[in-house]
Amino acid sequence: MIPQDFEYSAPASLKEALELIATGERKILAGGMSLIPLMKLRLAAPEHVVDLARVPGLDYITESGGTVSIGATVTHHDLESSPVIRGRAPLLAEAAGHIGDTQVRNMGTIGGSIAHADPAADYPASLLALEAQIRLVSAKSDRTVPASDFFLDAFTTAIEPGELVLEVLVPTEEPKEGYRYEKVAHPASGFAVVGVAARIKKAGAKISMARIGVTGMSSRAFRALEAEKLLESGAGVAQAAATVAEGQEANQDLYASADYRRHLARIWAARALSVALSRAS
Amino acid sequence: MATTTTKPETLFGKKIRRREDPRLLTGTATYLDDIKMPGMHHACVVRSPHAAARIKSLNVKPALARPGVTAVFTGADVKDLGPIPCGASLPGLRTPHHHILAQDRVYLVGHPVAVVVATDRYIAADAVDLIEVDYEVLPAVSDPEKALAPGAPAVHPQWPDNTAFTFHQEGGDITGAFAQAEVVVKQRITSQRLIPTSMETRGVVADWHAGDKSLTLWSSTQIPHLLRTLLAGILGMPENHLRVITPEVGGGFGSKLNVYAEEALMAFVSMRIGKPVKWVESRRENFLCTIHGRGHVDYFELAARRDGTMLGLRLKLIQDLGAYHQLLTPAIPTLSVLMMPGLYKFKNISADIVGVFTNCTPTDAYRGAGRPEATHGIERMVDILAAELKMDPAELRRKNFVGKDEFPFQTATGLAYDSGNYVLPLDTALAEIDYPALRREQQQARASGKLMGIGLSTYGEICAIGPSPATPAGGWESATVKIEPSGKITVMTGASPHGQGEETTFAQIVADELGVDIDDVVVVHGDTAIVQYGIGTFGSRGTAIGGTALYYALQELKGKVKKFGAMLLECDDVALAGGKCVDERSGKSVPFAQVAAASYRAMKLPPNTQPGLVATYFWEPPNFTFPFGAHVVITDVDRETGQVSIRRYVAVDDCGKIINPLIVAGQVHGGVAQGLGQALWEQAVYDENGQLLSGELTDYALPRAHMMPWIESSHTETPSPVNPLGVKGVGEAGTIGCSPAVVNSVVDALSHLGVRHIDMPLTPEKVWKLIQGGRA
Amino acid sequence: MKISGSFLVPVPQERAFRLLQDPVVLARSMPGCDTLERIGDNEYHMKMKMVLASISGLFDGKVRIADSRPHSSFRLIVEGAGRIGFMKGDGLLTLTPVEGGTNVGYEGTVEVGGTIAAVGQRLLDTTARMMIKRFFEKLTAESASSGAFSPTAIL
Ligand SMILES: Cc1cc2nc3c(=O)[nH]c(=O)nc-3n(C[C@H](O)[C@H](O)[C@H](O)COP(=O)(O)OP(=O)(O)OC[C@H]3O[C@@H](n4cnc5c(N)ncnc54)[C@H](O)[C@@H]3O)c2cc1C
Repeated sequence: MIPQDFEYSAPASLKEALELIATGERKILAGGMSLIPLMKLRLAAPEHVVDLARVPGLDYITESGGTVSIGATVTHHDLESSPVIRGRAPLLAEAAGHIGDTQVRNMGTIGGSIAHADPAADYPASLLALEAQIRLVSAKSDRTVPASDFFLDAFTTAIEPGELVLEVLVPTEEPKEGYRYEKVAHPASGFAVVGVAARIKKAGAKISMARIGVTGMSSRAFRALEAEKLLESGAGVAQAAATVAEGQEANQDLYASADYRRHLARIWAARALSVALSRAS
Repeated sequence: MATTTTKPETLFGKKIRRREDPRLLTGTATYLDDIKMPGMHHACVVRSPHAAARIKSLNVKPALARPGVTAVFTGADVKDLGPIPCGASLPGLRTPHHHILAQDRVYLVGHPVAVVVATDRYIAADAVDLIEVDYEVLPAVSDPEKALAPGAPAVHPQWPDNTAFTFHQEGGDITGAFAQAEVVVKQRITSQRLIPTSMETRGVVADWHAGDKSLTLWSSTQIPHLLRTLLAGILGMPENHLRVITPEVGGGFGSKLNVYAEEALMAFVSMRIGKPVKWVESRRENFLCTIHGRGHVDYFELAARRDGTMLGLRLKLIQDLGAYHQLLTPAIPTLSVLMMPGLYKFKNISADIVGVFTNCTPTDAYRGAGRPEATHGIERMVDILAAELKMDPAELRRKNFVGKDEFPFQTATGLAYDSGNYVLPLDTALAEIDYPALRREQQQARASGKLMGIGLSTYGEICAIGPSPATPAGGWESATVKIEPSGKITVMTGASPHGQGEETTFAQIVADELGVDIDDVVVVHGDTAIVQYGIGTFGSRGTAIGGTALYYALQELKGKVKKFGAMLLECDDVALAGGKCVDERSGKSVPFAQVAAASYRAMKLPPNTQPGLVATYFWEPPNFTFPFGAHVVITDVDRETGQVSIRRYVAVDDCGKIINPLIVAGQVHGGVAQGLGQALWEQAVYDENGQLLSGELTDYALPRAHMMPWIESSHTETPSPVNPLGVKGVGEAGTIGCSPAVVNSVVDALSHLGVRHIDMPLTPEKVWKLIQGGRA
Repeated sequence: MKISGSFLVPVPQERAFRLLQDPVVLARSMPGCDTLERIGDNEYHMKMKMVLASISGLFDGKVRIADSRPHSSFRLIVEGAGRIGFMKGDGLLTLTPVEGGTNVGYEGTVEVGGTIAAVGQRLLDTTARMMIKRFFEKLTAESASSGAFSPTAIL
């Protein structure tokens, strides 16, 4: 890669990292799967790159008290293959498995992905459906933001200057609940043309809880609240799925028009929900 | 002592692993960007962001002021060099003067405007951003049909109709054919613009030696010798002061069968700065500045009788040429015309080509070069006719095939098909899939609302390009074989393989002919100072022509080896086997090494024989070769989303005799991948201002491994009588056979909904809309 | 690329019309706008820094107001060029009084070239819409802080 000149620091502790990003035009480097291509094309030209690679203890996956904590530098591959995630937040493991290709999954991190907030990234749909929280720290602050308040717009998040994503906190899924992540991958970029994450809990024959996150369709991932409500009040999958695109502006590109994206969101929501339903017990 | 010599098994036809792979797979091969030289400078090219603009001013001072920047050159510096050559000659062809750097106007996005030279690549890239160019943006046109409309912006102001040439070819009695016709089917069929995208982009290193006024130029090219000749012309330099070397070339697919501005530019830069200089193309540049392929809008009309007898084919072909002619740009659509009758015996054709300038990247030869377009056209038209006549598409094809006893078959386009048995691969493929059972399954699927399709393409191609009268720069190929004093064998081929595996297949030919171990053979290519003149590798010609030249060189050499062998063994004649010359009567033998040593030591020479063991052969082929085959594709279409998935892909190809089935399989797989790319995913999309929107791999969808179906590949073998090896060529077969089979399959899946044609690529949205009720 | 849409600006039509042509307000509302200097009648030189996540680029360009039909419509032409490419937006803004303020409809084209066009295709549409949304949001905010503008002071 032939980027512009930049300064590079590889802090050896979180404290040092936070001090480094506290001022000036600093850019965090995690897996580099989004940042480096942009630097290579000179679409990004950070003056100072702060690499998290040597910061110890940011790549943990732990579970306690009904919450799975995922450190910012956990890679997509680690998520996909972690027994904890597969057991306690399998929706997220499924989503991670859909990201890019093997190389990207080996390098890219959850912190980097959500900080980048590509409107077609895979995680946001699942994080919304899981009602995850994102913990942001800076040299002076430490706060936790729900996923629904984190993804603000295309490439725009609640991260303030000087903050970094420390961890993602996911309430564990119950073993009885059904889940599914479905994705239409763009044939070139691999990103989600549309991605739908679905969770279903049943009480007897009825749906007691439904969560639906949609990514790729719009400038930011969103929860299909109307469809969730319909399902929870006894509507069928088809009827609920038909509403997922309502009230949302849809993206368009060479591959898919806005109308087709909406259509895909409805079709794949129905398919994701059907699988989730069949997995719920 | 008498020994019995058993004739060793020949290597011809054996699955020998590619000898080039270990170095390629272990990262020890030397590609262009691996070349490092003391004092080497780096160049970056400043390119136009506009498709059409006048350069009002150009300020290079801020770039020159950047420490590390050695020089900046602009159009004014190179205005007397060139032009970049076009090798195609057509009557009345308008050829814009193609400067190495833009003069006062740019004609496409990516047009080189200046070159920055610096001590390292980062500085060069930074300095590009410091060059100030003031453009007056002009209207541009990117769609060839719009470019032909009255009042369209003129790409080149001197030719307001944007027409570079028109070309008419006719054979037989086309008017009569259409007069007799009981059915005429018409269809507009496009073959979209594609970006060849070889894994290695282009790159050039130039090293000027002021002392002897000579220049060594490394380029990632398919045609080192032609490049040298043409570059000498551009630079005004004696050809023999120029040496062109191709390091390892990471694919070309025709895109490196060209002479590019940067090759001349780096030569110029090195001469001016007196230092070696390197330029390596970025992927973005590769998408904008290396040729594109296809770019056809075709209007077909096929005349037939109700019984399915095809009578004649008319074609109006609009070729999007781009802004300039590269080496073969205008010639490519003429190849389409040659191929237009396909494998069918009707003898009446008429074709009109309009070559159109657009403010886009030039089109030129891309895998198949003109032939995939033609095959796509005829194979789609046959299916459209079958649908019109409610005939089975396989049956309609059989009815119209040139019969296996009709070869050589003279086509309406002036070709003589060498050999063939067209029914055989079709029937083999249909048997493989159990065609009748699938048709029944299709009926049931339709009844239950599912969409599945069966698509055929029975393609033919023109390979071994080609006899010299049909090729702009000569169509022969050369080979030299040397037996070194130690008995080891060195082959120098004028063909310039870049992934096709000739280092293996050629060594197989040598091993068989001389009866030596394949490990004793080295194949050298791609250095004009070492290898005798040659034409290059493209048009599936490497083995069929280059291999044949080698075969004949070996025959000459064998004669000489035998003379020395017989002299040493004191007998009349010897056989070559097991790395030895063997007197079959006495059983006495002498190893090659001894024969070779004797020939160079030359203490004693056979009568009328000169020392040394070297033979060179330049072979002029008497004809093209004409491979053929049948591809059958079964698709399932998701009714709700329009997503196409390939259930089975069966390819039965006939490329004549097969020297190495592994290599042939590789060529078929790669070819099919690129055919699928065109059928399903790839398209170079320009907006109306001439901006390439699919400008990176994030939008331009290449087939990747996980997108590929399993390819069930098999072969029939109909030897070519054109060359003694009986080979025909297989480099482009997969690409040519594939796309119509896929499109026919999807149209077949949707035919009961009234769909007759879909243009490529078959994106899900397009297919979905047709399922929604739009007819095409 | 074609763009169209509408926003509600919570001020009366006449005021909205003035706000939308006020260089101070424009400078504050246009995402990334650093400076806006008058260079002629209804024509301004603009420097802007576009920042979108990791992507950033400096643009140098012009803002022009044309075909002004007080207080109902005008054309806003914004063009800029920089290292990462160039862009040109040309839109007709139409103002109609509605309950609670003024409806500002826009319809026009955005042309993009250079690296951003070639590699950002997937995101162009989203980004354009986002920028427009930010513009109107800022404008709305500006309109609230009523004393903030005084066109005559600048012109
Ligand atoms: C070929 C390819 C295909 C891809 N396909 C997909 C896909 O299908 N689905 C998908 O979702 N993604 C896809 N991606 C993107 C991938 O998931 C990236 O890994 C991810 O978006 C960024 O993570 P990273 O660790 O690589 O971050 P980096 O590239 O290192 O950083 C990205 C951004 O996040 C910031 N950042 C990084 N870490 C932190 C932190 N802890 N706190 C605050 N800011 C931080 C950086 O400053 C930068 O702005 C693909 C990428 C490639 C190259």
